[in-house]
Amino acid sequence: MRWRNLLWIGISIAGLLLLPKFFPDPFFLRIVTEVFMWVGLAITWDVMAGYTGYLNFGHGAFFGIGAYVTAILMMRSGWPFATTLPVAGLVAGAAALIAGLPTLRLKGAYFAIATWALALAVQQMALVLDITGGPDGMRLPPFLHPQFFFYLMFALVAATFALLWFLLEKAPFGLKVKAIREDELGAMALGINPTTIKMQAFILSAIPAGVLGGIYAYWITFIDPASVLADIITDQAMVMAVFGGLGTLIGPLIGAVLIFAFKTYFWAYLADYQVLYLIILGGVIALTVVFLPNGLWGTITGYTGGRRILRKALRVRQPAERPQGSGEKET
Amino acid sequence: MFLLLPQALVDGFLIGGIYVTIAIGFSLAYGVMHIIDFAVGEWIMLGAFLGFYLTRWLQIEPLLFLPLVFIVFAAIGYLFQPVIHRVLSGKKGNPLLMALVFTFGLALMIKGLGLTVFGFYSHSIPSALSAGSFSLEIGSLFVTVPVIRLTGLIYALAITLALHYLLKKTDFGLAVRALSQNKDAAGLMGINAKRTSSYVYGIYVGISAMSGVLIGCIFSISAQMGSQYTVFSFFVVVLAGMGYLSGVPWAAFLLGVVQSFFLIYFNPGWTLLAVFGILYAVLLVSPKGLFGKGV
Repeated sequence: MRWRNLLWIGISIAGLLLLPKFFPDPFFLRIVTEVFMWVGLAITWDVMAGYTGYLNFGHGAFFGIGAYVTAILMMRSGWPFATTLPVAGLVAGAAALIAGLPTLRLKGAYFAIATWALALAVQQMALVLDITGGPDGMRLPPFLHPQFFFYLMFALVAATFALLWFLLEKAPFGLKVKAIREDELGAMALGINPTTIKMQAFILSAIPAGVLGGIYAYWITFIDPASVLADIITDQAMVMAVFGGLGTLIGPLIGAVLIFAFKTYFWAYLADYQVLYLIILGGVIALTVVFLPNGLWGTITGYTGGRRILRKALRVRQPAERPQGSGEKET
Repeated sequence: MFLLLPQALVDGFLIGGIYVTIAIGFSLAYGVMHIIDFAVGEWIMLGAFLGFYLTRWLQIEPLLFLPLVFIVFAAIGYLFQPVIHRVLSGKKGNPLLMALVFTFGLALMIKGLGLTVFGFYSHSIPSALSAGSFSLEIGSLFVTVPVIRLTGLIYALAITLALHYLLKKTDFGLAVRALSQNKDAAGLMGINAKRTSSYVYGIYVGISAMSGVLIGCIFSISAQMGSQYTVFSFFVVVLAGMGYLSGVPWAAFLLGVVQSFFLIYFNPGWTLLAVFGILYAVLLVSPKGLFGKGV
């Protein structure tokens, strides 16, 4: 089983690595690169929402901070691109530390409010400061090399995925985080310091988002508050993660691919009604919450488990031992 | 510099009244449902636009149909709440988290609908009272009081008193307070949690929409205004202390004063930054609100 999994992972990585060789079309590569980016944003959002149980409504702020750090360092200080990326990640992580310090001690509602307000505040700050170019945004030197960005984005997102997979699914850290999600008081009783763990998870989710923002800035070569700090970034990452399935890494990945593919088609056909996209995002999220609370992936994997339980239940019912009311005892 | 100080204080005080009404409704909804509603700003936006179009079609004073706006949106809220209730009482996943996500999705949808139907332009609701103002002169202090803002304060007082009566003197209010203290025990005492929550949500949505009309008479409205007012509502509720109603007026007046100070003395673009700064400082120092009495 393990070997087969490894084989599949190897095949998909090799396939993605060879993709630019067989499909060198820049438009296609651009779309795939953006899919990588959204996968990265969705899985990092899920670290807080799905694993830790805290909703971060300002994830886009970290992305935007990263983009602006790269742009400012490159244009105002003349740093080379490669050295700006770690700084972008660190600044985003520092912003998470500052934002999380007062709010992660409290209940989830406070955290949701504070991150939402943080996103708006960062947006306003980018608009009024001089160093960010205000509403005019910033232009970066064009570097027209689609394959470079394809591989860079892929490497970063794959590394993030692997790191999160190890930390959340294999290492004790994941167990601690999940313990906090399930029962914070219980986790405390086990000797876990919830605030520290939540803080680590929050910073862990912010740093990759910042680096992704930095790559995005150099890739698109123009950033302004309406593009890299827009609410739609958080909204979209959220919808992807929720639709795919919270609390897993595969779920947000699937959600990101599906939602982004849908968006690409939607944009091409309904370009005049771009705000309709907001309605669709909101509709997807609301319907998912009501009808598929575990998301797509959670429902699919739950379905196979559910079928097993169903089969067992049917086998039990044949001798008619439990006439009724057995289902209610579970809750 | 200091010549405008009393003016800033008066402006802020007058506008703060409207934030009081929004925040009280918001606190009530939080009290019974135990989730914060991210769509609060969008309800305000929808109410403001209903007021705008009604004024345009009927050509009458917008303040006259405030009750109509309230009834329409209270009905919408009442009919809508069961969906949130269903999410909240779900067994799968994490219901509280999901309900929060749900209200967020709702906000997104309303915003998208608003942008589609109302467009991106800013409007303002024409009211006969907007033009009028009177001046007060006390010694060397000179203050202009716009009639529409004064009306806003009177409206806020009326709503607050009505809610106070409803909560403290009626059986319904007793039920609401019981529900916000302990849902299960309230249910055992014969309170229909589902229906009471629906009523409260309806009242909250209606009040938010009504306040939206007044906001539209004082400031400009646009389909994107929602998130700003959502943050304002959070600000007031967090500063007051989540669920502590008596703190709401102070926090709301503080917000109004901050807003008018930034309008008069600094760049209005910094208002949200200042709001975030204060919110952050309060959460850092005293997470239970300015009075330390929140939950």
